[in-house]
Amino acid sequence: MNAPDRFELFILGDDEKKVEWKDETRIPNTATFIFNKEDHTLGNLLSVRLHKYDYVTFSAYRVPHPLFAKFEMRVSTDGTVTPKDAIVRACRDVVQDLEILSRSFTTEWLGKRIVHEGEEERLRREREV
Amino acid sequence: MDPYDVEGGAINVRFLEADSVRGKFLIQNFDLATANSLRRVMLSEVPTMAIDVVEVQNNTSVLADEFICHRLGLIPLNSKNVDDVLYSRDCECDGYCDQCSVILTLDAKCTGDEVMKVYARDLVVSEGRPNDEVGTPVITDPDGLGSVIVKLRKGQAVKMKCIAKKGIAKEHAKWAPSAAIGFEYDPNNKLRHLDYWYEEDAKKEWPIDEENSNIDGLPQDGEPFDFDAVPNRFFFDVETVGGLEPDQIVLQGIKVLQQKLASVIQELTGAEDTNMDGFGGGQSPQMNGGQGYGAPDPGYTTPYGNASVWGGAGGATPFGATPYGGSGNPW
Repeated sequence: MNAPDRFELFILGDDEKKVEWKDETRIPNTATFIFNKEDHTLGNLLSVRLHKYDYVTFSAYRVPHPLFAKFEMRVSTDGTVTPKDAIVRACRDVVQDLEILSRSFTTEWLGKRIVHEGEEERLRREREV
Repeated sequence: MDPYDVEGGAINVRFLEADSVRGKFLIQNFDLATANSLRRVMLSEVPTMAIDVVEVQNNTSVLADEFICHRLGLIPLNSKNVDDVLYSRDCECDGYCDQCSVILTLDAKCTGDEVMKVYARDLVVSEGRPNDEVGTPVITDPDGLGSVIVKLRKGQAVKMKCIAKKGIAKEHAKWAPSAAIGFEYDPNNKLRHLDYWYEEDAKKEWPIDEENSNIDGLPQDGEPFDFDAVPNRFFFDVETVGGLEPDQIVLQGIKVLQQKLASVIQELTGAEDTNMDGFGGGQSPQMNGGQGYGAPDPGYTTPYGNASVWGGAGGATPFGATPYGGSGNPW
């Protein structure tokens, strides 16, 4: 019928860019970013992350319409860093955090699996005896 | 702060349970937004394999063609090393090919008097798939049958060619890697993010998750409310449908999220910036699937012997060989 293809939720259209941005003319050090084919996963992650930095004075996002996979994010800074750089820094920091998480996860998972294995082995032996 | 110093408030993981179907763990010193994004990504954006196109050659069963096709789509398929498979839409081929699909055929006819059940094990995987594991129906029951597809009476037959493709759950839930993901923080409601409804006493009327609340520390009597406190300990419970191991769901989820952020960095810094991978000079996760940005400490193969401990040669993961994931499931 006329339902849109579901891959339109995450595949960029031919003339679409992942991020488009425009400086706000009426407020200094402020820009609005439009993220195409992204949702709350990235919107909330970035806008909340930006609150952690002292040089960010405002950051928030909105999804203009729930049927369209895009969101707008407005970021203001104190002028020492441009809004664009603020986002880039936030992204790098999150990637770094995830990297640490991933390493810790890998080590811990392996440790737990070994304990689990040992436990099963022990139970099996007890059953045989 | 040393990012690997656990005592000093570094991000760390602690496992409560880990087996072949589920992983229960907590992430400490993490933040809510990132933890929630990870949860969302694991639910909807980790790629797996599922039957996507079915050519019905014969169907004299009582079920309609599309009914059976839908059931076929929902059968979990092994998705180990699904990175070896291309997305059909990115593939140069017309429709589907060996690089971007796995073909399974189903050919069953009931000749006896008894009603015959057709199971997932009756799906025959064709030669030429991207790697030896991807696309095999997941069969975990002791009899090795797998899920029931259709029942046939004497003389009825089904013959179908199923084309399994790579996809993500955002497009269709059949590509979801996990059956369920438990997610919780602050089980004792110390942060008062919840306002429990009650008739007489909220404490008596609401169930408590003993295990999680003990780990998180029970509130002291008369403890003053700390209004500056933020959640920093997150309880996850990841259960797989069988296509990916629970650890792979989490690690792939992390990778997908990193790639998402990397694409934003790339877009914002522009193509002229060669350092656009988000790792400050490291290598991008897309380019070498994790090997480059610090394959997590080769120590995990040495101290425990190597792959053999877990049976079979470890299948390759984004981080190189899994030490415990052989072909035959050792547990």
